[in-house]
Amino acid sequence: MVATAFSALAVMETEEAQIARGLRRRDPDLLDALIEQYQHRLLRYLLHLTGNRATAEDLFQETWLRVLEKGHLYDGRNRFVTWLMSIAHNLAIDHLRKRSPDSLDEMREPEDGAAFEPEANGPSPLDVAVARQEHEMFDAALSKVRPLFREVLVLRFQEQMKLEEIAQLVGIPVATVKTRVYRGVMALRPALKGGAQ
Amino acid sequence: MTNYEHDRAVDLIMRRGVEDIAARDAAWLESHLSRCADCAEYAHLAEGTGELLRSVAVTASPALVAATQARVRARAEELREHQARVFLVAVSFCIGVLSSTLSAWLWWKFGGWVAERIGLPASYVAPGILLFWLLPAIVIAVLMLAFPRPLLERSFMISLGGEREGEKR
Repeated sequence: MVATAFSALAVMETEEAQIARGLRRRDPDLLDALIEQYQHRLLRYLLHLTGNRATAEDLFQETWLRVLEKGHLYDGRNRFVTWLMSIAHNLAIDHLRKRSPDSLDEMREPEDGAAFEPEANGPSPLDVAVARQEHEMFDAALSKVRPLFREVLVLRFQEQMKLEEIAQLVGIPVATVKTRVYRGVMALRPALKGGAQ
Repeated sequence: MTNYEHDRAVDLIMRRGVEDIAARDAAWLESHLSRCADCAEYAHLAEGTGELLRSVAVTASPALVAATQARVRARAEELREHQARVFLVAVSFCIGVLSSTLSAWLWWKFGGWVAERIGLPASYVAPGILLFWLLPAIVIAVLMLAFPRPLLERSFMISLGGEREGEKR
């Protein structure tokens, strides 16, 4: 098992190193492949962060342009996805600060709301309707959670990132990440309890 | 139960599922959750949050991906061209510095040789060559100081280019 873990680590290191080399060369084929590979994760993260599909799509493109331009700064020591998300995070924060310089809490845009398509997860129409209602309640509750908390919730629970990776990505101490995750989860309590009933 | 125990439980709840936690820690957490209603509720909420977030389907459209790839390729091409231009400018600069240094040395030697031939003292020849060497740059600098706007304005430069093109025709 230890050997498997070591070989997996070695493969990961090789992949990250290959990406770093490709980015230094600004290899267009590599960038195409990376865009394909991380398209959904990146858009999902940006969508949760901004709450607006059009903004998220603009930032999606800007993020990849930034990856191209700043690719030489990626050293391959950390996971590429963490570096990618940190670029997206910085762009989103810049964008949102321009829109609302005082506070990131005010950054939800008017067309917020049913941005996410819930997956059908029940066999019967009734199950589908119930699941959809739960998702809608959850989405509504999630949209009310402060973006700072929403971001770490998405990174932790959806992107399955380690607390240390989130801290590195967002540029905050691990203790702050834990506080945000805790408070984010607690902010969703009414929606989760309502959904469970 | 102490605050430390609750903090430890919350930390383990946040980490499990993504990070490997030791079997001893996992057993301790289960034991704590069976005794602490607040932490058990938090664990349940965290699990529910994760399940709901993971079930949200957000996909990038193929058009967005294709547009992004096209923009990235175009920008990569731009950057490559810019890099090539910068390289050419750098090479030209180096060649310019080398050739001017070499030619300055040659002129200096030539001036010394001429001075020796006609019997002039070196105290006249050295400033003469220096003046001859610097004169074009001094003239251009004086002109630019005297007429700063028309010489520096882009429109003037463009019109100059246009006139030259017109002359060629």
